[in-house]
Amino acid sequence: LATDVSVDAVMAELHDRVHRQLRERLLLHGASSALADPAVFAEVEQLLQSAVALGDAQALLLPELLGDRDSWRLRTSMRFDSHRNAQAAAVILFVKRRLLMPLVRWLFEYSRNNFERQQRVNHILFACVQELATENARLRREVQALSQNTR
Amino acid sequence: VKLAFVVQRYGADIAGGSELHCRDLAQRLSPRYDITVLTSCARDYVSWANAYPAGESSDGGVRVIRFAVSRPRHVPEFSSLSEEVFEGGAPHERQEEWFRQNGPQVPGLLDHLRQHGRSYDAVLFWTFRYYPSFFGVPLVRDRAVLLPTAEDDPAVHLDITEDFFNTPAAFLFLTPEEQKLVSARAGRTLTPSAVIGTGLEPAGPSPPRDLLRSNDIPEDYLLYLGRVDRNKGCHTLLEYFQEYASTSSVIPLVLAGPAKLQIPKHDRIRALGYVSDELRAALLAHARLLVVPSPYESLGIALLEAWNHGVPALVNARCDVLREQVRRANGGLHYRSFNEFSGALDYFASHPEESRVLGAQGLRFVEREYRWQTVLPKIEGLLRSLPTAPALGAAPHPI
Repeated sequence: LATDVSVDAVMAELHDRVHRQLRERLLLHGASSALADPAVFAEVEQLLQSAVALGDAQALLLPELLGDRDSWRLRTSMRFDSHRNAQAAAVILFVKRRLLMPLVRWLFEYSRNNFERQQRVNHILFACVQELATENARLRREVQALSQNTR
Repeated sequence: VKLAFVVQRYGADIAGGSELHCRDLAQRLSPRYDITVLTSCARDYVSWANAYPAGESSDGGVRVIRFAVSRPRHVPEFSSLSEEVFEGGAPHERQEEWFRQNGPQVPGLLDHLRQHGRSYDAVLFWTFRYYPSFFGVPLVRDRAVLLPTAEDDPAVHLDITEDFFNTPAAFLFLTPEEQKLVSARAGRTLTPSAVIGTGLEPAGPSPPRDLLRSNDIPEDYLLYLGRVDRNKGCHTLLEYFQEYASTSSVIPLVLAGPAKLQIPKHDRIRALGYVSDELRAALLAHARLLVVPSPYESLGIALLEAWNHGVPALVNARCDVLREQVRRANGGLHYRSFNEFSGALDYFASHPEESRVLGAQGLRFVEREYRWQTVLPKIEGLLRSLPTAPALGAAPHPI
């Protein structure tokens, strides 16, 4: 057999090529010219990548600041309820669950799938904002420290 | 030494990954230990309908006690509950209800653990997400060894799992990534624990190509092995493959496994449906490359099997387990996007010698990490560290 092949080395070459093509495509379609610098592009990509990788919703600060979940959160599950008295509610809920729901399930599932995608995108956007805010705060502290040192 | 193995389903005709793992270990360890498998009467993992008779039976020297499922799963109700709890913010009672409804609900198994749990030196539980483990571990916590088989999916991130993962006396993990994930959920380093993976027998000589020819399978092909399902990332694989095939001359993609989604008609895609063990082995032995597009895996048995035949792999990098397994083994490439997928296929097509080396490196990794003579001593070492299993000797396991 030939000498050992390093997966990391092959992947690094492959990533370089893919990133170069991606950068060229973005610039061709009018993305910021700052991305022409491969180092800037790599840093932007890394920052966005870390936002995408933030898989746990509980690691996000924005939802805590938005307050009451019902006022902003997408609800993807169907809740069956009724404001009527217990007996009437039981009949109404039975009709909703067992008769109406099977008829409209296809529409519900179509909407739910799209809501779930939107929820994922919202989650990622929250994470992007958080990463950018964190980076901004860190840089601000560094600038402050530098300006104090140069006084 | 008495060991109990608790698993949601058990039997020679059960194909699930954790069920096979449990059965393999039970049979390998049974000559040396008194093993009792505690399981349900279910065969189907969706409905959990009772299929086997309740009571005691034997499976190749292993004592099996089956408990009736008291309530089959009501799928629409469970789907609705899943959406509710995975949205986040559901109270603990609703999250606990999710584990109950996920089933298989076997209250008799829990009664058995309450009454006889202390008669076992250790009780091993497979898969954290099912009722027998979730409600059984707390009943025998001082001797419970959990094999979580956890994937980075919404269930593992439920709030309630933090307490649960702090309950067992010890852990056996399939990969370092699983160990890291579960430790993060528990909020501490989990000890004692061991990463064991699974054991594989050497593949032996390559099966002849005749079986492939008689099934009209091309000489050179990419292979996908397993259920053709959205949950396994197959819709993305099919989309990427068709896009790649529209601009490059690619070898055919062979899909070997029952289809749970509509497979597009395409002259480069060949769907075989369910395949026999014999054909499966031949497909693995002669594939150019195995593609594993799944975003969620706790081990990736098909990947290990491909390496066992010296076949390299292309895996979904969004699954930490698959990506890191490939990096540890130096046994293939990984992709996150269509551009990386097509770049990787270009590499395999233009570097045949390097592709063979990647496959050979995968085989070396399997020989180093996943032979039974490596796996079994790790399990015994961990069991020996349990205060409830002092009788476990220090003698090496006769393979």
